[in-house]
Amino acid sequence: MQMTVLAISLVVMALISLVFIGAIRSGGRAQAPGSVERRRLALILAMLAVGIVVTIASLRPWPQAVAMTADTPTINVTGGQWYWEIDNTELPQGVPVIFNAHTEDVTHGFGVMNDVGRLLFQVQVMPGYVNQVQYVFDTPGEYTVVCLEYCGVAHHAMITDFTVVTNQGGDDNG
Amino acid sequence: MAEARYAPQTAMVKFTMILVGVVLILMMTFGLIMRLNQSGMIEIDPILFYEILTAHGAGMVGTAGLTGAAIMWYFMGRYVPLVGAVYAIFLGLFLLGVVLILGAIFVGGYAGAWTFLYPLPAMSGGLWSGGAAAIFLLGYISIGVGFLLMHLEVGRQLIRAYGGVGGALAWPLIFGKGKPEDAPPASVIAAMASTIFNVLGIVVGAAVLVASIVNLLVPGFAVNALLAKNMIYIFGHIFINAAIYMAVIAVYEIVPEYTGKPWRASRVFAISWSVILLFVVIIYPHHLLQDVAMPAWALVMGQIISYLSGIPLLAVTAFSLLVYLRAGPVKWDLASALLVLGVAGWTVGVVPAVLDGMIMVNRVMHNTQWVPGHFHIYLLLGVVAMGFGFMAWLVRDARTAGFGTLDRLGVGVFLTGGAGFTLMFLISGAMSIPRRWADHAPEWQPQAVIASGFAVLTILGALLIVVLYLRGLTARKRA
Repeated sequence: MQMTVLAISLVVMALISLVFIGAIRSGGRAQAPGSVERRRLALILAMLAVGIVVTIASLRPWPQAVAMTADTPTINVTGGQWYWEIDNTELPQGVPVIFNAHTEDVTHGFGVMNDVGRLLFQVQVMPGYVNQVQYVFDTPGEYTVVCLEYCGVAHHAMITDFTVVTNQGGDDNG
Repeated sequence: MAEARYAPQTAMVKFTMILVGVVLILMMTFGLIMRLNQSGMIEIDPILFYEILTAHGAGMVGTAGLTGAAIMWYFMGRYVPLVGAVYAIFLGLFLLGVVLILGAIFVGGYAGAWTFLYPLPAMSGGLWSGGAAAIFLLGYISIGVGFLLMHLEVGRQLIRAYGGVGGALAWPLIFGKGKPEDAPPASVIAAMASTIFNVLGIVVGAAVLVASIVNLLVPGFAVNALLAKNMIYIFGHIFINAAIYMAVIAVYEIVPEYTGKPWRASRVFAISWSVILLFVVIIYPHHLLQDVAMPAWALVMGQIISYLSGIPLLAVTAFSLLVYLRAGPVKWDLASALLVLGVAGWTVGVVPAVLDGMIMVNRVMHNTQWVPGHFHIYLLLGVVAMGFGFMAWLVRDARTAGFGTLDRLGVGVFLTGGAGFTLMFLISGAMSIPRRWADHAPEWQPQAVIASGFAVLTILGALLIVVLYLRGLTARKRA
């Protein structure tokens, strides 16, 4: 996901830069006013069309959906200055896991990274709320929990980990 | 350029831009120190790191706002008789705020970041006192009151001169009741819209600041954290956007001097500014996409408006500038080069910002270095470039005509440094490196080393441009 987003960004940013460089280097060739307004309208309509497609494609299914059944593993996560507490540090592979995140003090950000340091998901952890986030771990191994909302002077040291273990009884889709 | 009827208050604005230049260099140096610490090349105490982080954030946002305000005040001074004392009070309150904020940080030890996310100011883990946090928040209030007075004076005069809010926003043109030649100048429409949304944002900001101060004094007075966060981001988002939208007035007013063609307030232009006025106010939930307690409709609105906001920028301001450049010829000098860079940087920076405004992307990019990546592009290469362009234009009569060697060197070094520096933030964000971390893991340090090199270039380029401005201020006018 992240590298795709980076690639799309760099390509579009480069294209916009090239359009500006082209205009700067054009040295002022006159244009018919009529075509300018037609091209402006075409640009607006094209952006609207792309926006509609991307919006629908990116919101269905709802990215923050949490579907809980009676046997969904539920993990309670507590954040505080400057520690994480997780009530179960051995999570099953290949099934949806729900995290209930809450804080003892200020706002924290519950972020989970895989063993190569790639961020998989996150959710804000806010006073007065229990925020839920769902994830399916496809690969067994060690995962790192970090804080992604600035919470004071040891914010960067708020790190812990948990393990995802192979689900012997279920399908191994990792 | 539309016809000017009054004389702008040039001396106060020139003085403001000296402050802007000096503070920008200082804050960029703070940024360099943070990147050097993350690279492992220097080592500073995390307490000092987060104090510097707080000062850098508050200082840069405040300076961007000051830049936009100075530009708007200067050019509105061409069209309406603004009361100079109001600007002097605005500047006085701004400087008072700066003293309070710097005192709270470097004397009181406050390090709760510029976003003062409730209840962090009151819960420091013993590192700073409630008094230090209160002084920091009072500093914001001082600056906010100054901005409010400045906007009220601009708004009052524009409403009087152009027949109400609707007149200043060219609503008759939008609804087919007026001719483009009778519409207010493009910059007046931009100033009226910016004034309205910044006043709204500052009032919301004042409410959450006062609530936070009461919470510091009376801990039993609790505020709903999600409500406070909504209010903080309404204020923060609107304030920094107002800085950009006020700064672009310099483009509308100055670029026509270089192309010989006025920046016409067409019907599309008028519609786009009324749309911007609405969008800037309702877009802020894109900062809260990981707050799952938010209503889903608000988050969807945040994503959609985040994308739609790019249309007025791209299809109106950037598109029109490209048309002017192609229709040229443009007389290039330091001012025109920096103003065009400002619009280009703003436009380019919107791309990674809009992607981060998508909920599914935000889930893996929020609060990584992707975020400072995109906002540094449109602030450093956008607002700062526009501010520098305005500074160069202010002293144009005392400078050598044309685009001299030092001018080219300044722009080239600033652009190379800024582009490399911001690109390293984006790459680091895509590699999941968190933002606002004092200590970086060894595998993250090479990115910070490269970014530090580009930061040095950025500072050198900025320093040269500021020195050229100061030299222009003291030089004699060209014959």
